[in-house]
Amino acid sequence: MPDRFSAFSFVDRITALEDGRRARGHFAIPAGLPAFSTCLVAEAVGQLAAWVAMAQADFQRRPVAALSGETRIVGEAAPGEILDLGVEIESCDADAVVYGGWARVADTPVLELRWCVGPMLPLVDFDAPEALRGDFETLCGPGKPPSRFPGITAPDLALIDRIPGQRLRAALNVPVSAPFFGDHFPRRPVFPATLLLDAQIRLAVRLAGETLPPGQRLRPARVADVKMRSFILPGQAVEIETVMRSATDGAAELTLAATVEGKRVATGRMEIVSRGSG
Amino acid sequence: MTTAEITREEISAVYPKVAQIMADALGCDVEQVGLSVPLIEGLNAESIDFLDIVFNLERAFKLKIPRGKIVEDARGDLPETAFEEKGHLTDAGLKRLREYLSEVPADRFRSPMRVADIPKLFTPETFCKIVARGLRAGPGAPKPDA
Repeated sequence: MPDRFSAFSFVDRITALEDGRRARGHFAIPAGLPAFSTCLVAEAVGQLAAWVAMAQADFQRRPVAALSGETRIVGEAAPGEILDLGVEIESCDADAVVYGGWARVADTPVLELRWCVGPMLPLVDFDAPEALRGDFETLCGPGKPPSRFPGITAPDLALIDRIPGQRLRAALNVPVSAPFFGDHFPRRPVFPATLLLDAQIRLAVRLAGETLPPGQRLRPARVADVKMRSFILPGQAVEIETVMRSATDGAAELTLAATVEGKRVATGRMEIVSRGSG
Repeated sequence: MTTAEITREEISAVYPKVAQIMADALGCDVEQVGLSVPLIEGLNAESIDFLDIVFNLERAFKLKIPRGKIVEDARGDLPETAFEEKGHLTDAGLKRLREYLSEVPADRFRSPMRVADIPKLFTPETFCKIVARGLRAGPGAPKPDA
């Protein structure tokens, strides 16, 4: 698996660890990338929490993305910068991990996660436990070699329905193969929830741009009550939808949804503000 | 105190908040969350919804609800081997479950019953009782968040 530990791994080193309780780490965003999305920052925080949870479960179980109560996006992280990561584990047992966390760049907050819940599933279904144990030891020791992440080509969105200012629906075709599946996960490729969220945010920003006063640059400020109901697999056709709930001069609140073959696979809410607000 | 039957008043006190949490988790109107509606067969709840509901009940009522608590409480002091056998409830286990889930009509308990099918019996009232028990047990019986 040549892309293992490089194509979708966003913790370079775990710098502090209190077993099952909290951890600190960092990730160097490769300087050569065109951008580094906020969703990947959230992925980095989630991955640090996953390492703590997997170690706590002695690499018998691993968490998967399921519920995220609130993500506050307060800054940006750019290529070439170092992401400082921290997680606090509220509880972790054989069934679920509950955690919060944050990401900063040079002491400036970028993102805060609160009330995240990940069901713990048999790790052996997703990866080789001993390989992951070895990766964890590397992360807690010298760290993995930095700057191996090659970036991600975001899947195209094809608009399929539109009520101007009220609703947008688009088709997202998950690739059959992509380098990130090498890490996510080696034995069971799953489209990362954070990449789905990235596509949903792109669609929501577009809808907000139809509603908020023209000429403003928009940014996502908050994502809430995200629920992943099932895995999205390579090659699946996903329909994503965003609906405007309210819009004022500088902020819009929208709902997010994703379906596969008519079945709801993800829901959430988000807030988009004009830059300088919120 | 905590072993006594939960009263209708205790259930009524927590039901509005419990129903709202369930409606939010299941993406339905709160009016659909009747006290006795089976969550799986009546409101299409999935395992992720139960995780969502329990997590939000914990946050709203400032309680800890360990996963698997319903089955554990139903079993009580009955040894695990006397409660279930090869994934199915024993006669003694089924009797305990009937007593514990007293809000569930008798005809919904089938014999033999798989342990994995127990969640099919759960209703909003099941969770109201868990919350009410937790509030009884908690110091100062905390009130739900507004």
